[in-house]
Amino acid sequence: MIIEAHGLRKTFTAKRGRGKTEQVEAVKGVDLEVEAGQIFAVLGPNGAGKTTTIRMLATLIPPTSGTAIVAGHDVTRDPGKVRENIGYVGQAGGVDENSPGREGIILAARIGGMSRKQAETRSEELLTAFSLTEFADRPIKTLSGGQKRRFALAIGLVNRPPLFFLDEPTTGLDPQNRANLWDEVRALRKQGTSVLLTTHYLEEADALCDRLVIIDHGLVVAEGTPDDLKKEIAGDVVTLRLGESANEPAQALLSAEPYVRDVRTEDETLRVYVDDGEHNLPHLLRALEAGGLGIQSISLDRATLDDVFLRHTGRSLRDAD
Amino acid sequence: MFRHTMLFLGYELRLTLRNPVWPLFGILQPVLYLLLFAPLVANTTVGGTMGDTLRLFTPGVLMMIALFGSLFVGFGMINEIRNGYLERLAVSPAWRPAIVLGRTMRDMLVLVLQALLVIGLAWLMGMRASAPGVLVMLVLMAATGLLASGLSYGLALALRDENGMSQIMQFFALPLILLTGIMLPMSLAPQWMQTVAHFNPLYHAVEAGRSLFDGDFTDGSIPLAFGLTLALGALTLTWSVSSMNKLAG
Repeated sequence: MIIEAHGLRKTFTAKRGRGKTEQVEAVKGVDLEVEAGQIFAVLGPNGAGKTTTIRMLATLIPPTSGTAIVAGHDVTRDPGKVRENIGYVGQAGGVDENSPGREGIILAARIGGMSRKQAETRSEELLTAFSLTEFADRPIKTLSGGQKRRFALAIGLVNRPPLFFLDEPTTGLDPQNRANLWDEVRALRKQGTSVLLTTHYLEEADALCDRLVIIDHGLVVAEGTPDDLKKEIAGDVVTLRLGESANEPAQALLSAEPYVRDVRTEDETLRVYVDDGEHNLPHLLRALEAGGLGIQSISLDRATLDDVFLRHTGRSLRDAD
Repeated sequence: MFRHTMLFLGYELRLTLRNPVWPLFGILQPVLYLLLFAPLVANTTVGGTMGDTLRLFTPGVLMMIALFGSLFVGFGMINEIRNGYLERLAVSPAWRPAIVLGRTMRDMLVLVLQALLVIGLAWLMGMRASAPGVLVMLVLMAATGLLASGLSYGLALALRDENGMSQIMQFFALPLILLTGIMLPMSLAPQWMQTVAHFNPLYHAVEAGRSLFDGDFTDGSIPLAFGLTLALGALTLTWSVSSMNKLAG
């Protein structure tokens, strides 16, 4: 295990003006186990406690209680040793805007213990790997968001850390840059680097990670591989629009069908979780017809992590922000 | 630890050298004082000859650079907190005090170079001062830089807000300058102002500078200025370093 965290809690004292304070429980007891060599995602809506969790694991803030062993060292007792073995890229990127990226990479390399010559070689390697050579000597502030993010990654990876933390790595990137970043993260796994990333994009967690936890209101609500989590709630989902008055009878009717795993109302639509959707859709249509319920619209999709989130929290991740 | 400090110093110096226009811009105001205010004073009864006036006036102008230059270095740091740069350094293997120490040393070096330029200009305008005195004054400048940038980084790390910081500095800067006798010697001031001025460390630094430029190394203001500046500098540096240590974790 590259990360083993038990009962991590973080309580902040927030100022509420006029000397009043309020205790805010950002993380209420999170357990995490990440195997070496995995891409592990922490998925959840904004404010769920993802960033606080990753900041505790990266030794930026001490946990209020609980323990975490990260890359073989205890985050509270031995933060220095943890820092030698991790790379960390925060939400804002954390690149010095005024200097050229090459300088930033070399500084990070030399802080990590390399000689000037080694640092220069390493920076050339990284600049090539991230296609940054042509921007290497321009101040970072003149670069685009995607280029800045690549410099942030390069700086974080300069000392070849066995574990890499990425806090919301693709927020604010356009689809092309997001896809590129996914490729870069996959390439890390290929080299044996473990990655822990936070995201509030379902597609990102689904496409990228080997395992994930879903957290909401500071607690882990589900844990597993994307496929296992989706299988738990059935493979397919039929989205039905029947009209407001028909929702309740339809829910009762469909819940009784043997191939239906669960029926949930979301706004005006019904989401019916079924096994083997292609095969069972005709049965479902017949059942509705027999019940005298008219269909306004219908669609059949594979279940997504949003359905997992809906199942565990009672709301959609898209609405949770 | 020393290695990390030197690495940060080198990095910051290269950054300053890449854009030397700002430190040069920083001495523009003091230079204008030299060019436009010193002749004015020289024409009044207090001044005497231009050379005498400049010898009186230049140490004050130097303190002005120290105050208005180094006191503002923290503004950049607020931005570095906001864009996550300091946060990333804090989880790197960097020895945290080096992050502040490297910057402070850069500020002290820049200040000494600025002072040399201003003294050079005053020399061209006709000032003649004791050379060893000028050298000791440069050391005092460096110590003042330590005090001012330590204070500035400490404030930046504590407040993390440009607005609050500029308010606080406005509040302190003007009385500090007026009660220093930079413009005119404090001996012209009424007794109560002179008494108040004694509580201003910069006042003693300016007084010490004047004695040094005159080549008078026996004046009591010199050890007093060094003692005060170094003690306060140690205090502000400790403050900013410990704030950096507490930045996270």
